[in-house]
Amino acid sequence: MKMVQAKNISYSFSPESVIIGDVSFDADKDEFVSLIGPSGCGKSTLLRIIAGLVKPTGGKTLYMGKKVDGPSSGMSFVFQDFALLPWLTNLDNVKIGCSMMKLSESEKEKKAEIMLDKMGLSGFERSYPNVLSGGMKQRVGIARALVSDPKVLLMDEPFSSLDELTAETLRSDIIYHLKNKNLPVNSVIMVTHNVEEAVELSDKLIILSKKPSHVAATKHIDLKRPRNKRSKEFLDIMDSVYATLAK
Amino acid sequence: MDFISLLGLIITLAIDTAFSWVRMFAALAVSIVISIFVGIYAATHKYAEKIILPIVDILQTLPILAFFPFVIFIIVAAIPGSIGINLAVVFLIITSMIWNIIFGVYESIKVLPKEYGEISKLYGLSRIERFRKIYLPAVMPRVVEQSTLSWSIGLFYLVTSEIFSTGNSQYAVKTGIGAAIASPLITGSALAYGLALLVFIVFVIATRLLFFKPLEEYVVRYNRHTQQKPESRAISYAKVMGSFGSRIARRLNPQQLIRSSGSAKTAMKKRGARSVREEGGIATIEKYGTAIKYAAVALIILGIAYVFITNPALMGYEATVLRALVYTFARVWFAFAIALLIGVPVSVYLIFLTRHSSKYLLLFQILSSIPATILLPAIVAGLKGTPYHGEITAVIIFVLGGVWYIIFSTMNMAKTLSPSIPEVKGIYGVKGADAWKKIYIRAIIPGLITGGITAIAAEWNASIVAEYFTVGNNVAAQVGIGVGKLLDLSLSANNLTLMLLAVANITVMIILLNTFVWKKLYRSVSKMYG
Repeated sequence: MKMVQAKNISYSFSPESVIIGDVSFDADKDEFVSLIGPSGCGKSTLLRIIAGLVKPTGGKTLYMGKKVDGPSSGMSFVFQDFALLPWLTNLDNVKIGCSMMKLSESEKEKKAEIMLDKMGLSGFERSYPNVLSGGMKQRVGIARALVSDPKVLLMDEPFSSLDELTAETLRSDIIYHLKNKNLPVNSVIMVTHNVEEAVELSDKLIILSKKPSHVAATKHIDLKRPRNKRSKEFLDIMDSVYATLAK
Repeated sequence: MDFISLLGLIITLAIDTAFSWVRMFAALAVSIVISIFVGIYAATHKYAEKIILPIVDILQTLPILAFFPFVIFIIVAAIPGSIGINLAVVFLIITSMIWNIIFGVYESIKVLPKEYGEISKLYGLSRIERFRKIYLPAVMPRVVEQSTLSWSIGLFYLVTSEIFSTGNSQYAVKTGIGAAIASPLITGSALAYGLALLVFIVFVIATRLLFFKPLEEYVVRYNRHTQQKPESRAISYAKVMGSFGSRIARRLNPQQLIRSSGSAKTAMKKRGARSVREEGGIATIEKYGTAIKYAAVALIILGIAYVFITNPALMGYEATVLRALVYTFARVWFAFAIALLIGVPVSVYLIFLTRHSSKYLLLFQILSSIPATILLPAIVAGLKGTPYHGEITAVIIFVLGGVWYIIFSTMNMAKTLSPSIPEVKGIYGVKGADAWKKIYIRAIIPGLITGGITAIAAEWNASIVAEYFTVGNNVAAQVGIGVGKLLDLSLSANNLTLMLLAVANITVMIILLNTFVWKKLYRSVSKMYG
């Protein structure tokens, strides 16, 4: 079943500066899709178009067969710079994720506590984001994205503001939760510029060309999980991705 | 009015404004020259830094216009006639323009890569060569940037001091747009007054377009990476206006702001070790500033005590001053509350709710260049016959004088927020009261505090004309009791003692408020805002 369909999406500031030429792809149920491409190819804009945050110049996005007109509760978003509200406690930040749900305050609080706990942050409910490390901040960001039980999780370079070791741990945590059905999320669409990360996490890789961007290649990766990043198969896939990107 | 006399009036007004502009440019030139030397000296000499920075820092939040009656009294006593009066006005404008330029110069030298100093040593540059080839080009972009802000602040001082001077024929500025506006000829006719405003606004816009814009373009050629896209010009103005506030914020809580400021953060990454030096400089303000502040307060209190002990009769004066201070204080803070009621929704709209904020900013940039005090005749005419019109006039002027600082300061501080925060609101559908409570208000609080300090200083400044406004020899509007009015009356009565006492009381009050209210408030808020 197709969770998200991007159909002939284009985006431009003006006729002279076209960022996204014509991009179409799908994200199926239980699929982890990565969008990768050179900088300036409009990856993040594309993700925001899918989220309903930005109106495309042309084309449309379908979420479970229905046209996306604006942000919906079924799709959630993780930001590169975490985008936590510094004046709210970590718990209240996660509760922001429940804004569209018709729940009482105490029910929201309960959900947020459970989600923070799942992300390994119990004990930090009453403190503020500025006492957390980058990795912990992004865990709050992910908890906020997941607390409303979204079916689709959109992630915009979620690990790129973190140091490599922290990113590594967080990546394996996320993929563990996703693949063990600990979370209601059906599909993930992630934007990244890190080829290794993309090959490690994805079931499907959408490689975009430089602007005006179109889909240069689509790769299905069916390596067994957890993936060994030093295996020959893994390195071969990385090489072929680099080859496509270099074209 | 026939065409010829209309044309004549316009030409007269243009000449008046040109005279005012000469004062402004003279003050700007002096401010820039002094700032460059003082700023560079402070940035390159450790001991000078420890003394200069805290002093500059105190002076920039004092409502210096309140000192004007005193200054004009002293200068005209020394140099009688129009030269003395003009010197007093120019001096006053300098005191409004100079502080932020000094800080701009100081900061641009402080952030210079230390390799520059090494180059000058390696190649054996002389002191003059070092100044001309390294320091001067390095400080010019900030000097120009800060000058545009200084100009706006200076206009307020210019108009206010000119209007004030006409209240007493002995000290009256003869030719100037502020003086013209307060003359019966102009206030008597709506058409003439409208024309005067128009001429003034034309001058403001022309100065920006013909003087500051080319100057900005000229100096950014040194630093290509700081060049901005044309559409961000208005935003950069807000940045400059707001930087007035953020400098205050830095003083209030140095490390905090350095950390939270987005632009500072990226710059810091590039600069690496230099940031440590920069923080050092601000820590210097912090450490020595408090000491100097307490010393200043102690000195003034001792001075006042001495005066009281030697002249017990002065206690009566002090009682008068304190009573006046309480009344103006109430007026200033009441006006501040109204300014918040206007400024907060406007800021929230500009930051979160519209995509066209840069267009509005351009409009606000022009509007904010119009000194509130220039509107006095219109407000007085509009309120004629209303009960308490003197009080209402003062409050309106205070509100108009303060509200811009709130708007520009919050907009500037909002830029240090994550740009994704409006998207967070969209993605999670935070709406209505929830959005106000959880996002909007909280996001602008730091800006409200820094804007509040400057807004209130601007209100006190306005008090010397807003509380006692004269046209010709008639008092057009006055409050019942107020310290601004007291300053005016004491000048007319040549009562130097009363004047000094009033100025000393205002100074002590402002320093106490800044130290014990604003600083504490900012600290407690910024703990949270990482």
